[in-house]
Amino acid sequence: MVRKLLFVLFFTLAPTHAHAGEAGPVMRQWYKLVLELVRHTPTYSPPVASRSFAYLGVTGYEVVVSGKAGLTSLAGQLNGLTPLPKRPRMVYDEAVVMQAAMAASVRVFFGNTGPSGQQAMDRMEAALDAKVAEGVAPDVVQRSREYGQRIAQHILDWSASDGGAVVENMGFPREWVVSPEPGHWKPTSLVAQQQAPLLPGWGENRPFAMPAGSTCDLPAPPAYSEDPASEFMRNAQEVYDVSKSLSPEQKKIARFWSDDPMLSPTPPGHWVSIVLTLIDRDQLDTARTADALMRIGVGVADAFIGCWWAKYEYDYVRPVTVIKKLIDPKWETLLITPPFPEYPSGHSTQSGAAAEVLTGVFGEDFAFDDPTHEDDGIPARHFPSFRAAAEEAAVSRLYGGIHFRPANENGLKQGECIGAYTVALRTLP
Amino acid sequence: MRAIWAVLVAFPAWAETPVFVDETVSSGLVSVYAGDWQYMVGGGVSAFDCNADLLPDLVLAGGEGEASVWVNRSDAALKFEKAVSGVEMTGVTGAYPMDIDSDGVADLIVLRVGENVVMRGLGDCRFERANEDWGFDGGDAWSTALAATFEPGAVWPTIAVGNYIDRREEAFPWGSCTPNWLHRPGPGGFASPIELTPSFCALSMVFTDWNNSGQVALRVSNDREYYKGGQEQLWHMEGEPRLYTEAEGWARLRIWGMGIATDDLDGDGMPEYYLTSMADNKLQKVVAQEPLVPKFADVAFKRGVTAHRPFIGEDLNPSTGWHAQFGDVDNDGLADLFVAKGNVDRMPDFALQDPNNLLMQQADGTFVEAADKAGVASMRSSRGGQLVDLNRDGLLDLVVVNRREGAQVWRNATVGGHWVGVRLHQAGVNPDAIGARIEMRAGDRRWLRETTVGGGHMSGSLGVQHFGLGVAEGAEVRVVWPDGSVLDWTPLAAGGVWRVEKGAAPVAE
Repeated sequence: MVRKLLFVLFFTLAPTHAHAGEAGPVMRQWYKLVLELVRHTPTYSPPVASRSFAYLGVTGYEVVVSGKAGLTSLAGQLNGLTPLPKRPRMVYDEAVVMQAAMAASVRVFFGNTGPSGQQAMDRMEAALDAKVAEGVAPDVVQRSREYGQRIAQHILDWSASDGGAVVENMGFPREWVVSPEPGHWKPTSLVAQQQAPLLPGWGENRPFAMPAGSTCDLPAPPAYSEDPASEFMRNAQEVYDVSKSLSPEQKKIARFWSDDPMLSPTPPGHWVSIVLTLIDRDQLDTARTADALMRIGVGVADAFIGCWWAKYEYDYVRPVTVIKKLIDPKWETLLITPPFPEYPSGHSTQSGAAAEVLTGVFGEDFAFDDPTHEDDGIPARHFPSFRAAAEEAAVSRLYGGIHFRPANENGLKQGECIGAYTVALRTLP
Repeated sequence: MRAIWAVLVAFPAWAETPVFVDETVSSGLVSVYAGDWQYMVGGGVSAFDCNADLLPDLVLAGGEGEASVWVNRSDAALKFEKAVSGVEMTGVTGAYPMDIDSDGVADLIVLRVGENVVMRGLGDCRFERANEDWGFDGGDAWSTALAATFEPGAVWPTIAVGNYIDRREEAFPWGSCTPNWLHRPGPGGFASPIELTPSFCALSMVFTDWNNSGQVALRVSNDREYYKGGQEQLWHMEGEPRLYTEAEGWARLRIWGMGIATDDLDGDGMPEYYLTSMADNKLQKVVAQEPLVPKFADVAFKRGVTAHRPFIGEDLNPSTGWHAQFGDVDNDGLADLFVAKGNVDRMPDFALQDPNNLLMQQADGTFVEAADKAGVASMRSSRGGQLVDLNRDGLLDLVVVNRREGAQVWRNATVGGHWVGVRLHQAGVNPDAIGARIEMRAGDRRWLRETTVGGGHMSGSLGVQHFGLGVAEGAEVRVVWPDGSVLDWTPLAAGGVWRVEKGAAPVAE
């Protein structure tokens, strides 16, 4: 049902909401398609998805900045972003500019998607091209398109040098030496491709708002020990014990935040989905729409860079490796253990960042419903605040058996630290 | 009752490398699986004798082009002649042979983008539409999977049809998987189909007795690219179909399910299942425990059949697997594995040069790639295929359907071990004994084969079941017929095909 509504939004409501001049609805329409493309483009692991959300958000925001006085460009605020092309003093249509910019950007970021995604992009572009041009003078349409494409190209050129533009083999190195030392990451799946960890260099990518991947370091995780009294083993025992006494509600929580790549919009897409829900619910204007989507994108993208920096700094072992070796050889996790080092938890870091960013945008104790997974038969959940949602996302990894407690709790703190850099960006008056 | 057969001595691998000769051009076989988005999946081939000369003839899907029937004129070399068959329809994704009306002549179930068609076999490789005569509602969908069997006591088959996405949802196809159908017998033919929901874009189906219970279940492999909230499926078929649940031990698996191959690889009397996907493929073995539950361990990595990326060439991106089939191509007594590979459609994150696999089973149960040395590592964008003995020389040949390119056929010229073929037959209903279990033994080695219609990627065979025997010069066969009656262990000499008639002694064909 939700899928049908989404389709209707694309092609039925578009004329109503995306009439000439309104850029915000155009951006929203593209984002809704992007959430599907993220799910259906095999390179789109969570870090890769977060990167695209950031660049698309910056693109959309800069389009709005270019046509509206009083907004502050991100040039000079985001690492390496130079001033955007200026508009000659002529008439433009904001919806056409946004449509051209988003279409050009999405096609690049999702150029590797499959035939259905390619077809969907074709249909989306054609439908929105026609709708936004309705009633607009041809010369204005032409000029607006060209300008939108220039904005997009400027951002695309900037993106090419961040270290994350090329992802091969779905992000898994073809060669990798696994540390023989106990306490370090070992492959956890029987998938041949995943005998090497995902995107080991991602933490070296150029961040957006924070200075470097290492900026928000976090305490080292407990040292490996097989002593049952050690902190390490107490954490392992906790994961095991929790798995044996999960309540139905805890299982629901684990699956709600599972956000598996290729089967969901991924964890960063989950937070983008929340933002889109709130934009629709509260009918945000174009400037706030673009600002919110930019901030959530930048926040989660920086979070994945910082988290990945720490993951490969500590190269920490997963619970399933330890528990099968030392506690119960037949133990199985509720969730699939992701194929990369454990500490800190990626979902926790990026949820901590998202909560920090969205609290900045919408305010403290901002209650909302999250229907992200309704299409997959998972009911919406209600949260009293973004921080409460982030905390639930973090503890869900304990319930799922894929993280020790410190990875979740310290990950949240790392995310808050990273998110603060996004909050500090100057945008709306 | 579950039978556990010990494998005391595994046969040695027979030939170091199988040898296949590409006879595509000289055979005269010319067929392309054509078309754009609606033909990114499908592209099947079926092999069966449609003119009673004992040679398997071929039906190839044409996609946007016409499907075609090819009469087998092979002697030692492979030769085919295009027939005027009545199957020359467009929109065909695949076709499976089955004697639906039990008249002794194989019929066809033709799956299409559009209306599916059952075609009555008239002999001499001619067919006529029988939807109306048999009460078969062909519907209007994008059909991409099939499994068929005769349920206990039924005089008419049960056909499960897997359907893909709603083809009208071109702009937003995700989440639009359309219902699968179950055509069960009705008065004078088929009843109105019931929907097998939830449906998750099936690309392969097979009826299988996964736990040796004597009752088949329906295994469905689904494409996660398009479903929401979906997973692989196993259906109980007693009475109203119902899904096996997590409470029964079923473990959720979500893959880009493309094809199912099944065989008893280790002679323990239990079928294993190979599931093709993108990147890693799966080999599932039921977890041994009492009582058995539908819980499967993935042993693909351990046994060397993940086949997750090209093994030759410069393109090392992940592979895309389609049709899979077990068959003993060197007759060493160990089932080997063929996997058709090919990019969905210009997806640069996956291998664009994606060679087909021929994985040779070793004595220790692992598999070793041999497609390149054997000469069958085609880089075309393959979809369906069949390992089938096309010239009755006791060696499994290979035919492959390719998307937007010509089909290919290879003659197996391996110097292999001994072999035996079995063609089951019974009087009356279900003459090909679909649903029977063939057990074979030679020395310490045992084999189990379920006779079924379905599986693979839109591809299948009807007729002779081929067994490699290695050094054994004969074997014993045991048949559990669909009605549960048993042909007790009966010797068969190697080197030929045996017609095994229910209630009679096997006869050399």
